[in-house]
Amino acid sequence: MMTAVAGPGGEIGWEGALIQRARRGDSHAFERLYREYSGRIFGLCLRMTRDPATAEDCVQEAFINAWRALDRFETRSAFGTWMHRIAVNVVLARRRRASWGNEMTLDPEVLEAASDWSFDTPVEESEIEEAIARLPDGARDVLVLSGIYGYSHIETAQMLGIAEGTCKAQLHRARKLLAERLNVGLR
Amino acid sequence: MTMTNGTDGNERKVSSLGELSRNVAPPRDLWPSIAAQISANAPAAPLASERRRLRPTGMQWAALAAVVSALAVGVWLGRSVLPVGSSAPAVVAQEALNRRAAENGALSRPATEGIPAASQPQGVDPNSLPASFVTDPRYTMQRAALIRGLEAQLKTLPPDTQQKVSTSLATIRTSIQDLQDAIGRDPANALLQELLVNSYQDEMRVLTAVHEAGGVSGGI
Repeated sequence: MMTAVAGPGGEIGWEGALIQRARRGDSHAFERLYREYSGRIFGLCLRMTRDPATAEDCVQEAFINAWRALDRFETRSAFGTWMHRIAVNVVLARRRRASWGNEMTLDPEVLEAASDWSFDTPVEESEIEEAIARLPDGARDVLVLSGIYGYSHIETAQMLGIAEGTCKAQLHRARKLLAERLNVGLR
Repeated sequence: MTMTNGTDGNERKVSSLGELSRNVAPPRDLWPSIAAQISANAPAAPLASERRRLRPTGMQWAALAAVVSALAVGVWLGRSVLPVGSSAPAVVAQEALNRRAAENGALSRPATEGIPAASQPQGVDPNSLPASFVTDPRYTMQRAALIRGLEAQLKTLPPDTQQKVSTSLATIRTSIQDLQDAIGRDPANALLQELLVNSYQDEMRVLTAVHEAGGVSGGI
């Protein structure tokens, strides 16, 4: 992981310095940013697309878009979050173009308030990943961003371009489906 | 509660989604493809420098402020004075641009779309607007007429206003030229195309404002 160094004007991270260099056209600096974040971005894309080859394309497209848009990145925000937003946009755009997306259908029961959850009993990581991969697109997107990557409902809703209420409902739906498929209880 | 057992006894067990690894290493190094793409396209630095050239500083800030106020007055005059249903030049230009953009379908695309991934061939996005997109005859005629009358209209304005308008137009035209150059290097860049459309619209607004202010009120 990159470490931060303190400067007279406040903490200036290596990341910020790399971003500044990349903005000036230094592709080596951008490569270091890629090395730092490619795993997170690939993980996100893989979970959203369920296809490694598509996820690879999305990662590449996301970093190319980021390179072109570096001038618009505001350094006071987190580069990782910014990259995630770009990656989510890329995935959603590709999904729209390919008409992958399932229509979101919300059952009345999922409109009830979502509760925090965890599995009572630890399960195999691969089982969870497989169960997540079988979720409908809308529910899976919310679960990945909110449940795995820790974004709030508001942040997740903004990234996906949906209402916060829809986000909560989809998360509840995802958890319910996941629990059923893993045959575990929800707390 | 029951739980299905995993087949791999060495598989890591997790008890919440948050415990799943956020990092998943790509099966292969994707950087070479990314590096090829970003070196084949316009790099970040020239784009940044172009923007710095376009960014108003010092005197240009004053010119920018002036053109903004001129635009506001022009719009107000246009709405107050022009008869309903008339085809103001800016409206004509806007319609022409919108029609052309709709034909190409490019303006509705987010700037982050349309960039080919490694699996797609490099080249010009067929949906992109060409740099010489402003070919609508009505737009061309209106613009030419406004430019022909510009000198005469400017003479009716106070000297400082004339200077502000001239500076603003020069800035806008420099922007247009810079954007055309940039699009020449990166034809598929939707953001540049959108900026170019905006710059043409800005030019028409200034020309229209001068035309209307010079003819109606004698000042901006």
